[in-house]
Amino acid sequence: MILEAKNVSYYYKSQRDKLILDHVSYGFECGKLYAILGPSGSGKTTLLSLLAGLDVPIQGEICYDGKPITTKDLAEHRRHHISLVFQSYNLIDYLTPLENVKLGGKGDPKALLGSMGIGEEYWNRSVLQLSGGQQQRVAIARALTSDAKVLLADEPTGNLDEATAWDVIDLLKHIAHEDKKCVIVVTHSKELAQAADEVIHIGGSTKPNF
Amino acid sequence: MNSSQRAWRSMIRKPVKSSLLLLVIVTVSLSLLCGMACQNASIQTQDTTRQAVGAGLRLDGNESNRTKRLEETTDKITHQPRYLDEGELDGVYIRKLETAYGTQWYVGADNSFDSLLMDDIEKLAAVPGISDYNVTTKITPVNPVNFTRIEDPDNDQYNDIGGVTLLGNRKMELDFNVLSGNVTVKEGRMIGMEDRDVCVISEQLAQRNSLHIGDTLQFNDCHDPENAPIWEAVIIGIYQTQQLMQPLMSGDTYRSENVVFTDLRFPEKAENETEPCFEHAYFRIGDVDEYDAVKSAVEAADIDWERYDLIDRNGNLATMSSNFHDLEKISKVLIVLTFAAGFVILFLIFLFWTKNRNQEIGILLSLGFRKVSVIGQFLMEALLITLLSFGVTVALAPVASEAVADYLIAAQVEQAEIQRDRDAGKVMFASQQAEQTVMGVNVKITEEMWLFSGAGVIVLIVVSIGIAGIPVLRKRPREILSELS
Repeated sequence: MILEAKNVSYYYKSQRDKLILDHVSYGFECGKLYAILGPSGSGKTTLLSLLAGLDVPIQGEICYDGKPITTKDLAEHRRHHISLVFQSYNLIDYLTPLENVKLGGKGDPKALLGSMGIGEEYWNRSVLQLSGGQQQRVAIARALTSDAKVLLADEPTGNLDEATAWDVIDLLKHIAHEDKKCVIVVTHSKELAQAADEVIHIGGSTKPNF
Repeated sequence: MNSSQRAWRSMIRKPVKSSLLLLVIVTVSLSLLCGMACQNASIQTQDTTRQAVGAGLRLDGNESNRTKRLEETTDKITHQPRYLDEGELDGVYIRKLETAYGTQWYVGADNSFDSLLMDDIEKLAAVPGISDYNVTTKITPVNPVNFTRIEDPDNDQYNDIGGVTLLGNRKMELDFNVLSGNVTVKEGRMIGMEDRDVCVISEQLAQRNSLHIGDTLQFNDCHDPENAPIWEAVIIGIYQTQQLMQPLMSGDTYRSENVVFTDLRFPEKAENETEPCFEHAYFRIGDVDEYDAVKSAVEAADIDWERYDLIDRNGNLATMSSNFHDLEKISKVLIVLTFAAGFVILFLIFLFWTKNRNQEIGILLSLGFRKVSVIGQFLMEALLITLLSFGVTVALAPVASEAVADYLIAAQVEQAEIQRDRDAGKVMFASQQAEQTVMGVNVKITEEMWLFSGAGVIVLIVVSIGIAGIPVLRKRPREILSELS
């Protein structure tokens, strides 16, 4: 297992009586595409945040390559082990696509942008001049520049039209199967769930019992 | 891509945001520099004014001591407490006068009794810290022999002795009328300590008698104009007054236009006396900042102090530099207000930055950048803009500081004039006041001011960003990303 959630529980500090995640345990391997499904408010994004090191669980632990991630290591974890793709693309608006990709890490940004189907003529434009699909591809390229073994994506096709969404799904499958990365996607998309190697269903919230 | 590269791109590619911050920083830097320049100019002008006015000490005879000495000397002449005999001793004389009302006793003193002692004056002049000194004779009425004095045709001259007055000076430039700015030489020069038998006359007297520099005036004793020997003085200057000098007593003999400045020893000759009568001495203090120390040293001099009064002569300093005290205060307030307002404005701008750039912060954190690195980028960005602002400030500061100083001085002068108008008719002055308002200052921005302003603005920015960045530092990355979604 490259990434594990062991007996993880979580609630919002403002709603302590409502557990978002209740002693959940999951394991994730490299070379697979995982889809996390569940109704709104079921804790999908929360689980993704915990796996990404954007937050820490109230109980339980997140392990990377068998080692638990401590609070101190969160930034390092995000920097070296995890790549993130968001629904809203999240590109920095004053940087060009090329510069946005460079933020991600050490990989060859031009090659990555090329492989994502972003032509050279777009590399030095403002990201605001790109279409939604193009922006999401740039975001995925940025995620791939790091040598992280885990790619986490939160609704990556949520804002895309159907054709573009399929392109992105193919891309994610390719990353999982060809690049041998662990790709975990939070989604409502049935297409994406069908394309995944494993589907994890997360239920509603419960009352805490600890 | 490191913080500085991101900061540079953000600065260049978000010109509106950068321009706003640049404008604020230029304004803060300019205000600081203007405040400091005005304060410095004010302090320098006060110092210059103090030095220019030349604070000093005035030595006069003590009137009580004169009376006491007079009584002691007359007792010695008569060997009695009452005047019973004519006689003369140490410059005091008793004369018996037979009048229609019976025998009268007249007690008088000559110049040797009334005069300040030159030995004492020279002792005081030798005190370290005294840069120069002047001795002025008493106002001496004499008879004009070869010229006509100025007279008021409406005045009855029956009780006037028909003379002019002489005022002897060791150095005319240190005469009190000259020091106050009331008397200035219109033509020729002032009398120096080496001059002998020379005079400086009023422009009215020169005009009345068609006198010019190089002409010779003749004087003699006004008590016996027919027989007294005639003394000549060459005109070396013609003076003018801003306001007429206050006459010693009534009568045209003492009127301002009939005052003739002479060298120190001329009046005694013209009034047919053998001894001079030095009425005042003035000691100029070289460094005004050492005023108190020099005064103490003068007071410690070994002379008979019972005979004298030592008077501070720096009264004009406060008046002359009063508007600059205000200017200094205003400048200080300007600096403090700039710091306070600058901090608030910069803090709000950076708070707006951190709020408005939540997405950027979230992205960077999700990519593994540390919070400190993100705040560091903002700081770097602000410092780059600050650097640019300093360039603009360098170009604008000299003109701006000059304009601000001129404005503040104009406001101060206007205020002083309003106050003077309000006081008109309410305040009575012993004499006409000379113009005492300084109309301008030399504003200069020194290296220290640049450094202080630069350091001050940088500190403001660091502190503002530090405080505005606290919410970012306290938030978890997920909270920031949640806010985005």
